[in-house]
Amino acid sequence: MSFSRRNFLIATGVVAASTTVLSACSSSDKGGSGNGVPSVGDAKTVNIPVGTKADSAGPAPEVQGAVKGGTLYSLDQFDMDHLDPAQIYVSTEGAITVPIMRGLTGYKIDEKGGCTLVGDAATDAGTMKDGGKTWSFTIKDGIKWEDGSELSLDDVRHTYERLFASFVTEGPRYVQQWLVGGDKYKGPYSGKELDSIEISGRTITFRLTEPRTDFNYTLAMRGYSLVPKKHDTKEKYDKRPFSCGPYKIESRSIGKSMTYVRNEHWDPKTDAIRNAYPDKYVFQFGFQPIASTDRFIADRGNDQYAMTIFNEVAAERIAQVLTNAKLKQRVLTQVDTVTYYWPINTTRIKDVKVRQAINWAWPHQQLQTIRGGKATSELATTILSPVTPGYKKFDLYGLDKKPGGDPAKAKALLKEAGKIGQKLVIAYQQSDNAVKQAVQIKNALEAAGFQVVNKQIDKSTFYTQIGKIDNDYDLFAAGWSPDWPNGYSVFYPCWSGKNIGDGRSNYAQLNDPSVNKAIDAAAKIADVEAANKAWGDVDRQIMELAPVVPDYHSIRNWMHGSKVGNVVYDAGNTCIALCKLYAKK
Amino acid sequence: MLRFLVRRVIGALVILLIISAVTFWLFYAIPRDPAQMSCGKNCTPDMLAQVRHNLGIDHPVPVQYWYWVKGIFVGRSYGDFGNCNAPCLGYSFANREPVLGTIMDRLPTTLSLAFGSAIVFLILGVGAGMIAAVKQGKWQDKLASSASLLGSSLQIYFVGYIAMYFLVAKLDILDNPSYTPITEDPGAWASGLLLPWLVLAIIFTANYTRMSRSQLVEQLSEDYVRTARAKGLSSRNVFFRFAWRGAMGPIVTVFGIDLGTLIGGAIITEYTFSLQGVGRLAVDAVDKSDLPMVLGVTLLSAGAIVLFNIVVDAVYALIDPRIRLA
Repeated sequence: MSFSRRNFLIATGVVAASTTVLSACSSSDKGGSGNGVPSVGDAKTVNIPVGTKADSAGPAPEVQGAVKGGTLYSLDQFDMDHLDPAQIYVSTEGAITVPIMRGLTGYKIDEKGGCTLVGDAATDAGTMKDGGKTWSFTIKDGIKWEDGSELSLDDVRHTYERLFASFVTEGPRYVQQWLVGGDKYKGPYSGKELDSIEISGRTITFRLTEPRTDFNYTLAMRGYSLVPKKHDTKEKYDKRPFSCGPYKIESRSIGKSMTYVRNEHWDPKTDAIRNAYPDKYVFQFGFQPIASTDRFIADRGNDQYAMTIFNEVAAERIAQVLTNAKLKQRVLTQVDTVTYYWPINTTRIKDVKVRQAINWAWPHQQLQTIRGGKATSELATTILSPVTPGYKKFDLYGLDKKPGGDPAKAKALLKEAGKIGQKLVIAYQQSDNAVKQAVQIKNALEAAGFQVVNKQIDKSTFYTQIGKIDNDYDLFAAGWSPDWPNGYSVFYPCWSGKNIGDGRSNYAQLNDPSVNKAIDAAAKIADVEAANKAWGDVDRQIMELAPVVPDYHSIRNWMHGSKVGNVVYDAGNTCIALCKLYAKK
Repeated sequence: MLRFLVRRVIGALVILLIISAVTFWLFYAIPRDPAQMSCGKNCTPDMLAQVRHNLGIDHPVPVQYWYWVKGIFVGRSYGDFGNCNAPCLGYSFANREPVLGTIMDRLPTTLSLAFGSAIVFLILGVGAGMIAAVKQGKWQDKLASSASLLGSSLQIYFVGYIAMYFLVAKLDILDNPSYTPITEDPGAWASGLLLPWLVLAIIFTANYTRMSRSQLVEQLSEDYVRTARAKGLSSRNVFFRFAWRGAMGPIVTVFGIDLGTLIGGAIITEYTFSLQGVGRLAVDAVDKSDLPMVLGVTLLSAGAIVLFNIVVDAVYALIDPRIRLA
C-alpha cells in the first residue's frame, strides 16, 4: 500500500508509520538482537491462516484480567483525513475505525497472539469457486447499525457499488479492478446495479475477471468496510460514518478530538474480532511526538489511561525510554512489513549499470543515523520486508560489508557505463529530516561520480508529482507494504508494467517483460508455500535490474500510560489493537 | 464618540476587504492546485473537473472573489458537499466543513489563552514597572530591570518546555496544559491554562515592565507633576491621578496590538502546549494548503488587530482627557 502525505511526512521524519500491512500478529515484540534493540532480522514471518466457521463466530475471546468500564484516551499528532471506509487506505485511519466499522472479513487476534482471517460480518471467510473467479459470503444474523436497523444484503451490495462513485478517490482499487463490468460501472447513485454482484437470501456473490484466491484477504482491508445504504450521505459520509461495531461516534471536532461511546445495538455474539471493554474512547489530536512522549513518561492523571494510534516514541526520547526498564515496559515495539525505498525512474535512467551504481553508492548508514538509529529502523537490501511471507534474504549491492556505501565500486560501474558525471534529479518532501537526508545522499552520490540536483517538493503534492509518468525526477522517496500477507499486493501495484500510469504506484515505471511474466506467474500459484518462494524470486529478479534503492525496514515503538491494559499489536492495521485494550481499575 | 466609532468601523471594514482581496489573490497566484490536492491519488480528469466546480475555482479569480464576498452575506452552496450558511467565510475541503464553524470551535481556546495571559502579564508588567519607577535606582528597580531583560530574551518554546518538564512532569505542581470550556468546569479551565498563561506572561511581562517604567519615569519628571507636588498633593494622588494616566497611553496602544495578535493566534504557544487554538489551525491549514481556512484565519487575525485598535483609540480618551476623539 502506498503512503499518504501524512504517513510519508512521518516516514521522512524520525518515526515511521506504514499503511495497512500484515505481518506477525503478536503482542509486543520484546525480542531483539541481544543488545536491547529490536531487530527486523529477528522477527518471524507469520502467515495468517484462514479460520473456520467456528473461528468466525462471536464473541471474541476474552482478554485475561480485562475489566469493563472506564475511558481510554489517545495522544496523537494528526486527525484522520478520511473516515469513509471507501476512502481509507492509511493504517491509522484503519486502526481508529476498527471499533466502529466491520467488513465481510477481518483479522482475529487470539489470546496467544496469533492472527487468523475470519468472517467479520460474514459467517466465515468466504467460499471460492471457479479457481477463485467467484466468491460467496453469507452474512450473520443480528448485526445492527447504530440506529438499531439490521444489516441487510442491500447494504453490503451498496458498499461495493459505491466504491465506483466519482467521489471515491483515495481508497484501494483492487475490488473495483477485479469485478466483472467494473471498468464501465459508474456507481449506484444513478440507480444502476453492478451485475457481477449477486445477492440471494443471506448470501452475496462476487464474480471476478481473474482468479483471485486471496480475495477474502482483500476484503479484510478497511477500505471495504460496510456502509448502510439508507445512511449513505456520499461525500459527507467521510465526516461522520455510521457504525455497526461496538462503538459509535459521539462527537467530533475535526483536527482536535473525536469521542466514541458504546453502540448499544452491537451484539458481541455476532463479533469474533472485537472486545469492547472501555465505555468510551477519547482521541485527542495536536500533540507532537515529543509532547506525547513526555506525557507518557510523566504518566499523570488521564494520561495514565492514554495510548497512541499515530505517534511513536519521539527520536529525542528513544534512548531514554528504551534504556529505562520501567519505561520500556510501557512500550509496544513492533517490526513492520513496510519497506521504505527510493524508486529510480527507469524511463530516465535506462542504463542498468547506472542504477546499480546508485545502489552501490547509497549512504544507508548515514540516513539511519538521521532517522534515530537502529532502534527505529533496519537497513534494507530487498523490496519485501523480512516479516512478509515470501521474504528471501540477499544483498546484491554490498550493504552488509559497506553500509555507508561503496563509492569506488559505484564509480567503476559508472565509468564502465560511460556515464561519469551523470546528472540525477532527486525529489524529496519538505521536512527537516528529509533535508538532512538529501544532503547525505547528494554527498554520497557525488563522491561516486554523479552530479546531483536536489529538489524539495511541497508534501501535499509530492505523490501527485512523482506519480506523473512524465515527471522530471530520477529518484524519489516512497515506501510500500503489503495490503494482505503475500507478495502480490507488493509486486503487482509497484513493479508490474501493467500498473504504469498517472497516479499509479509503479513509480519507477519498470516495464520489464521478464518481471511482468514472473509476477503474473506467481499470482496464479494457489499453493501458499510455492507462491511465497516465487515472490522471493521476483524480489531478487527486480533488484538485479536495480530500479529501486531499498532503504530501510521500520521498527515502531508506541508508548502508553500505566493503566492501559493488554496493549497488543493489530497486524491488520499495523497499530495498537484498539478493541483489545482495557482501562485498568 | 458615536461618530468616531462609526467612522473607525467603516475604515476597519475597508481594511478587511483589502486584506481579503490581497490574500485571495496571493493564494491563487501560488503554484499549487487546490483541486488536485482535494481530488486524491485516484483522480481522473472528470473527477478533477468536478472538484474544480465544487471548489468554485472553475471561474476567473475576480469572479471567485465576488462569490466569496457574496457568500459572507447570503451564504453559498458547495454542490454535493452541502451548504454554507451566511456568514460564509468559505468551505474547507480538507476538513469538510464551513470555515467559520471550525474557527468558532477553536476560538474559545485562543480567547482563553489570550485574555488569561493578558490579565497576568498586564498586572505583573505594569505593577513591576510602577515599582521600578517609584524606586528608581534602588534594588527593586535593578531587580525589575534585570528580570525584564532576561524575560524579553527568552522564547516561549524554551521556557515552555522547561516549565512543563519541571512544574508538570517532575514536581507535579501544575496540571498538563489543556483546554476545558469555562462553562463546563471553571476549575479545570483555569488549571489547564495556568501554565501557558504564566509562560506567556514571562515573555510579555518583560516588555510591559520596561515600557511602564520608562513612561512613568518620564511622566514623573514632567512639569505638571512637579506642579501638582508643589501644590501639596500627596505622592499617591500625584502618581495615580497624573503620572500614571499620562504613562498609560503608549502601554494601552501596545496592549491592544498584543491582544489582537494573540487572538489572531499564539502559534508557538499553542504548539508548545498542544492547545488546539486558532494559531494551530492556521499552521495546519497552511500545511494542508487549505486555502479557504487560511483566508478565514487571516481575516480573523486582521479583524482582531483592527478591532483592538479601535478599542484602544476609544480607551485613550477615557484615560487621558487631553485627547479628543473628534
